[in-house]
Amino acid sequence: MYRCKNLLTLLLLSSLVVTQGCWSSKEIEDLSVYAGLALDVGERPEVERNLEREGATYYKKNLLTATIQIVPIKSFERQEKSSEKQLLKYSNLRLTGDSVFEIMRQYSTRRERPVIGHHLKVIVVSTKLAQQNQMDQLMDFVLRDNDIRPSCRVFLSKGKAYDTFISNQPEEVPAFRINSMTQNRYRTNKVMKDVNLTQLDGLLHSQQSFLLQNIVSTKGEIEFSGAGIIKGETSKWIGDLNQENVESLSWIQGTGQGGVIKSYDWRNKNITYEIKSMHSKTTAKLQGDAISFHVAIESNGRLIENWDTKENPSELAYLEGAEKVFEERLTTMLDHLMRKMQSKYKVDVAGFGKVLSIKYPKKWKSVKDNWDEVFSQVPVTFEVKLTITDFGSSTE
Amino acid sequence: MFIRNDDKITTTQTSIFITDTVLGAGILTLPRGVIEAAKTPDVWLSVLLGGFIVIMVTMVMVKLSQQFPNHTVYQYSKRIVGTIPGGILGVCLIGYYIIIAGFEVRIFAEITMYYLLEGTPIWAIIIPFIWVGTYICFGGINAIARVFQIIFPISIFILVLSYFLSIRLFDIDNLRPVLGEGVLPVFKGLKSTVLIFTGCEVIMTLVAHMQHPERAVRATFAGIGIPFVLYLMTVIVVVGGMSVDSVMNSTWPTIDLLRSFEITGLIFERFEFPFLVIWMMQLFCNFTSFYFNASLGISQVFRLKIHPVIFGLIPVIFITTMLPERINDVFKLGDTIGKMGIFLFFLVPVLLTVILLFRKKVLNHHV
Amino acid sequence: MWSVIISHLPNWKVCAQAILSLVIAIGFYYLNKYMRSLVEKKNASAQKARKGQHLAAHTNLSDHYKDNLQAIKQAISSNSDVHFREFQIAELHARATLIFVDGMQNEELISKYVMKILMADVKQAASDRSHLFDPLELASYLQDEVLPVCEVYEAAELHGLNQSILMGFTALLVEGMPHALLIGSLGMTTRAINEPSSEALLRGPRIGFTEVLSENTSMLRRQGYSEELEINMYEVGTRIKRKLVIAYMKDIVNPDLLQEVRDRIGKINMDFIAESGYVEQLIEDDYLSPFQQSQNTERPDRVISGLLEGRIAILLDGTPFALIVPVTFSMLLQSPEDYYDRWLPGTLLRMLRFFAAFLALMAPALYISFISFHPGLIPTELAVTIIETRQGVPFPSLIEVMILEISIEILREAGIRLPKPIGPAMGIVGGLIIGEAAVQAGIVSPFLVIVVAVTAISSFSIPVYSAGITLRILRFGGMLCAAVLGMFGTILFILIICGHLSKLKSFGVPYVTPISPFRLNDWKDLFLRAPLPFMNKRPDMMKTQDKKRR
Repeated sequence: MYRCKNLLTLLLLSSLVVTQGCWSSKEIEDLSVYAGLALDVGERPEVERNLEREGATYYKKNLLTATIQIVPIKSFERQEKSSEKQLLKYSNLRLTGDSVFEIMRQYSTRRERPVIGHHLKVIVVSTKLAQQNQMDQLMDFVLRDNDIRPSCRVFLSKGKAYDTFISNQPEEVPAFRINSMTQNRYRTNKVMKDVNLTQLDGLLHSQQSFLLQNIVSTKGEIEFSGAGIIKGETSKWIGDLNQENVESLSWIQGTGQGGVIKSYDWRNKNITYEIKSMHSKTTAKLQGDAISFHVAIESNGRLIENWDTKENPSELAYLEGAEKVFEERLTTMLDHLMRKMQSKYKVDVAGFGKVLSIKYPKKWKSVKDNWDEVFSQVPVTFEVKLTITDFGSSTE
Repeated sequence: MFIRNDDKITTTQTSIFITDTVLGAGILTLPRGVIEAAKTPDVWLSVLLGGFIVIMVTMVMVKLSQQFPNHTVYQYSKRIVGTIPGGILGVCLIGYYIIIAGFEVRIFAEITMYYLLEGTPIWAIIIPFIWVGTYICFGGINAIARVFQIIFPISIFILVLSYFLSIRLFDIDNLRPVLGEGVLPVFKGLKSTVLIFTGCEVIMTLVAHMQHPERAVRATFAGIGIPFVLYLMTVIVVVGGMSVDSVMNSTWPTIDLLRSFEITGLIFERFEFPFLVIWMMQLFCNFTSFYFNASLGISQVFRLKIHPVIFGLIPVIFITTMLPERINDVFKLGDTIGKMGIFLFFLVPVLLTVILLFRKKVLNHHV
Repeated sequence: MWSVIISHLPNWKVCAQAILSLVIAIGFYYLNKYMRSLVEKKNASAQKARKGQHLAAHTNLSDHYKDNLQAIKQAISSNSDVHFREFQIAELHARATLIFVDGMQNEELISKYVMKILMADVKQAASDRSHLFDPLELASYLQDEVLPVCEVYEAAELHGLNQSILMGFTALLVEGMPHALLIGSLGMTTRAINEPSSEALLRGPRIGFTEVLSENTSMLRRQGYSEELEINMYEVGTRIKRKLVIAYMKDIVNPDLLQEVRDRIGKINMDFIAESGYVEQLIEDDYLSPFQQSQNTERPDRVISGLLEGRIAILLDGTPFALIVPVTFSMLLQSPEDYYDRWLPGTLLRMLRFFAAFLALMAPALYISFISFHPGLIPTELAVTIIETRQGVPFPSLIEVMILEISIEILREAGIRLPKPIGPAMGIVGGLIIGEAAVQAGIVSPFLVIVVAVTAISSFSIPVYSAGITLRILRFGGMLCAAVLGMFGTILFILIICGHLSKLKSFGVPYVTPISPFRLNDWKDLFLRAPLPFMNKRPDMMKTQDKKRR
């Protein structure tokens, strides 16, 4: 015991020395954790304009506006808010500048707690910005930074990216909400497989076109809707796929974990197919110099909703008929997608290139550099096989 | 004898000693290094091939060392080629070990400063690290082997666990096509895969310290085999999880892989934390091993006591560590070490073996 | 080429740092060496002093009753509790004296079986004897035929006689007899056998050692009949002597180990050995180590199972704590209950204890490194919660942890001193109120209170009390390391401990032995407690003579 106490005094003394000597020590509550980063076209918010009028300015071209979402906000700030009957859990901070990193540091001139990126969960880029600037330039800082984890997910937004960070439910942090919504893929295949920074890095580097999930927002409500296409060569945004296209894409890739196909039967009545499993196999063929693809899609599912009261789903004939309807519907959807990919935008975002590169690496090497153009001429055939294995708990 | 004071290590300890010496900074740098050389997903083949080559060479080393029981390479090289050439060879090896030790510490410091301790001066990271190494080296080969033995199972477990968890990102398509561009890239990659096995030279000193030198072959096999499997896993998991393009673009691909996913619900949401922890320990083992081998070498070549030598190496290693100015220099140094490694790999064991055989068979010398 | 080399030469700052690192390292080395040499010197000088002392004069008792009595009186009669009772043995016509220390004699024995017989009953028996006045025969006559007492010894040497009297024997001096007779055993009041309070168990024998050595050894004997259990007696202490016993299984223990233990006990040099803790500290291998190198226990069952593993027990008179040597790291986290329960619960509890030990050692250090250094390594949700709870805490995490840890340690220390009925209540009140009030006052964050509480509880779950103290000491070291270098500091701390543990030996047995040097057979009793049928061998590490248990 004596020894123990002696040590304690020694420790207390040395702890005083130690607190002076710890270089990297920053208490967590003295830092601002930001969970979301939204990039918009450079457009100064009013506060900033006023500040600049007062002389708060530095050399910049106002290329982009970066918004960070800080959680949780300091308690006294929250008390102020609560007097307005609005208990926000987050605060958004907007600044305009040229370099993302410079803006990050510029926040320190506005807030006493410097921001750290360890907990950045989502990055939302507005399509307008992505159209004007190259994606790899915009993402360069977040890819390089040591704080930001590569697990951070990237999205595009149809309107202003800033708007996706506003929620009309005060207890909710929009960045976390967006992040969690990506987990809903097992409910609907309208939600794309999320793209994190590591994957984005590879995609940007490989010069292939790819998709990012689109977020549409209005007055504090957001929705995942379709996807934006980033063209490989220019790494700029060139267009959108709608929700149906995203669904079709998941059929081609066979990556869907769940979802529905809704169609209308021969009496124009609403019937719905619930996807239980989904498999697809894309094969590349090379005849001479001509490339072609064949996609075989197989799926098991359930007839989950049937408005056609005249039919009995327990009858095999009806099920087979319904299967045909769904298959037709799916084929139409796939056609829409292929038309969009091959004619409208002339890009391959469905991974056909990867299939070719695995099967015919030599050929791939020769077409790799202008694959998007080559792809727009390549014939793709589909073979769809849907099987309704059950009809739920009611027969009629 | 109940209380033993001899510095002999068991067969298991020998294996772990070799594993810990080989398994170091390579876990982090290997995937990028080999992909940059080969530029195809076939790099795992390079690792496979490289591993086999290395095992062959180490077998030569073991066989050579077994000819001289209780003698380390520093001692028997003198007997084979004469005092002065043998001494020069020993000095080469010592210099090599010191440079590797410095390199490992530097890589360690870089990672720590980048991911964990931003803002801490580099000396504040390096000096305590070297001191702890000194403390352990003082206990002699036995204490070192024991420390390795404590750390080894933990680090292997967590390493494999982290790889296992990153399976969620694994996509077999990232590893295909196999041999899409022929076998040439595989051989290109070979250069950087041989580098990561640098350190297996220590077997030439370890055999002398083994309790049962006759089991050295088995020990070496396991000692090289474990890092071999782990490196293979690293390459497969990292390339499979990240695709060739992002590996090429990432400075520390393995850490990036582990930072690419979060496991919500577990206490460790972020698995780079346990990974970095065990990697630090592993690198410490790595460093200690080279440190000890260098000091042992100096004490045997110049016939000095080992304790002053260990002390004397503290500033030497520190300065070696501080020599590269930027990270590019560090990586360049890594490449240079690899080349030196290949040189020493073949020069020392193969040359010595040839000379030994020549003298024994042709000249009928008694060595 | 030259310019490249020049540009890569280290600048003076780096060189200065390099030299500084060397100097400090050498400084530490010599400090360590100096501190060790201090102890060795002291031991050596004490050894010399003792050699001189051994030349104490041996004087034997003479034939003259008066002279003898006078000599004894001169030596010890200044003690007020030494009584001299003189009387006449009627038939022999001899004067006799009983000498005893008040309170240590057995009153009934003396008056009934010594005085009564000598004063009255000896008559008939002595009447037909003719050789009674042969002084040498008298002693044996009294022993063999007169005194109906079990314990009677002869004492011829004056110094020893005095000692025995003071130890509690009753001495009988008879006129004409050149010896004294020591009668009766040491009568001493003892306490009842209680359940060991420092090592309570739910299941297992409730018996614990007491302060009486003979009772303790008999407890060992009573564990079961064995011819192999050997108990050797030593005397330790230069000024006040005490009995010390080493116990071992003759055909199991490694003879080298036994010799080592004997040597070290022989070297003990202290005027008084108050408790077995003295023995522990005087025979340990490394006095600078925070880890204990012999295990203390109050439980005979623990001792006997230690003996069966090939260990050696050291018991000291006057203390209920026996020592078991050599000790290994794994023993500190084992409890006898592990073996009494079935193997699954035993294993589970043991794993739990390893985990608790880890927490007790590292939890505050991890807290500091996460809160102050690596906010990026905490899960996001948790980070947000911590930030919320730590709003307004004025101190850096190290000071915060120190405040709470130290107050908990003080509370714990106070809890031991407090009278039994108040102790637990005080602990709860103190803990709850201090924790709650500190949070209310905004000195510490609620999250930290959880961390510290978990740490404290974990350290209580360690079955060996003194091992718990070790962890508590080391915990502060870990906290400091973490406060300087965060996670890196914590890892360095772990590495130092690993290094120290692997250098440490207890009586020649490596401290961390089943782990390293690796002995797979002993792993059956490390993290797991294998089912008893599998534990058919004694631990390899003890290098026993008889390897098999069955």
